[in-house]
Amino acid sequence: MSVLTAAGTTRSTAYDDVSYTRGGTVDRAHVGALVQSAADGDAAAWKSLVDGLGPLVWSVVRAHGLSDADAHEAYQTAWFRFAQHLGRIREPEKTGSWLASTARHECLKLLRASKRWTPTDDPQLLDRPSEDRTPEESVLDSEEAAAQTERVRLLWQEFEELGERCRQLLRVLIASPPPSYQEVSAALGIAVGSIGPMRQRCLRRLRARLETRGTA
Amino acid sequence: MSDRYDDFDGLDDLEEPRDFPPEGASDDADDGLLEEELRQAAAILDPVPAGLRQVAVDAFALHDLDARVAELTFDSLVDAIPVRGETDPPRMLTFRSDTVTVDVEVTADGLIGQLLPPGPAGIEVLSGPQAHTRLTADDMGRFAGAAPPAGPFALRLRTGDEVVVTEWLRA
Repeated sequence: MSVLTAAGTTRSTAYDDVSYTRGGTVDRAHVGALVQSAADGDAAAWKSLVDGLGPLVWSVVRAHGLSDADAHEAYQTAWFRFAQHLGRIREPEKTGSWLASTARHECLKLLRASKRWTPTDDPQLLDRPSEDRTPEESVLDSEEAAAQTERVRLLWQEFEELGERCRQLLRVLIASPPPSYQEVSAALGIAVGSIGPMRQRCLRRLRARLETRGTA
Repeated sequence: MSDRYDDFDGLDDLEEPRDFPPEGASDDADDGLLEEELRQAAAILDPVPAGLRQVAVDAFALHDLDARVAELTFDSLVDAIPVRGETDPPRMLTFRSDTVTVDVEVTADGLIGQLLPPGPAGIEVLSGPQAHTRLTADDMGRFAGAAPPAGPFALRLRTGDEVVVTEWLRA
């Protein structure tokens, strides 16, 4: 395994003895300490946890193909539960996995409930466009960034047209900072050992699609 | 989409003939670069909505080390066998802490519940860090109210000197 992550940062040595684990840009060993501080009443530590692990939780709910409304509720439920269990979680350093697993189970329930109670189970029909504009999106609106915009949109379009399993796996893997394989396992209910090979196949499939369109 | 609830144990849609180059170190690096490019695309096109991030930040107010948590031990959505012909069954939930059990039934019409052991309690229906409505359980431990608002909810029960909060979920 490379000593550099894709982002070019030095990989944390804390994970060297754990197979199939990647170190992200946030040292996950730090998570346990943040959880402890938050449990002791430190709101700034809580905020750090939201910023460090929120994108993972969001990736998990997005990976499950919920409507926007359900995705928002699953995300909120995961954080409300985490707040409620703060100070009670047995292995605080594994909070990422705890949140990922909580979000996954909530997503599966919401999918069941929507199948039962809504006339359509096509999440696209229930989607509402997001009104939140990020600074990045605004930058993309500028003329100079048009080419980059095109590349990003094309990449995203090809990603969204991958098979459901590849889309799910990659959506969780591309949370920022990159999740550990334990977290991905908790997010999707798949064995840690199967993630690496599946990731490789899915990324190559995506690359093949991009090459077909002559944009790789 | 019949395989939606599968635990990802199959690789059926991956079992196509291999049309990819053999594995190698340079491919690993390419994989990493493509993944990173996709990560940046996700950060641009599908970030955590700002309002939702703020909800998570504000959720810190929900942490309460003095309250006991009553865990969800039964959820009809998951644990019950569907009844044929019943298209909109009530959602039956059971929460348990060391000292109290709370049975809750949620329908479009409202919420009814039973505390065990039976007894009076003040109940708040929480729907987020701030919003809540109040109910009262009678001497038999029974309570009823309007359906919880859309979104996740929890019940905070005060019985004597004890506070119990049910696990958050969306009804």
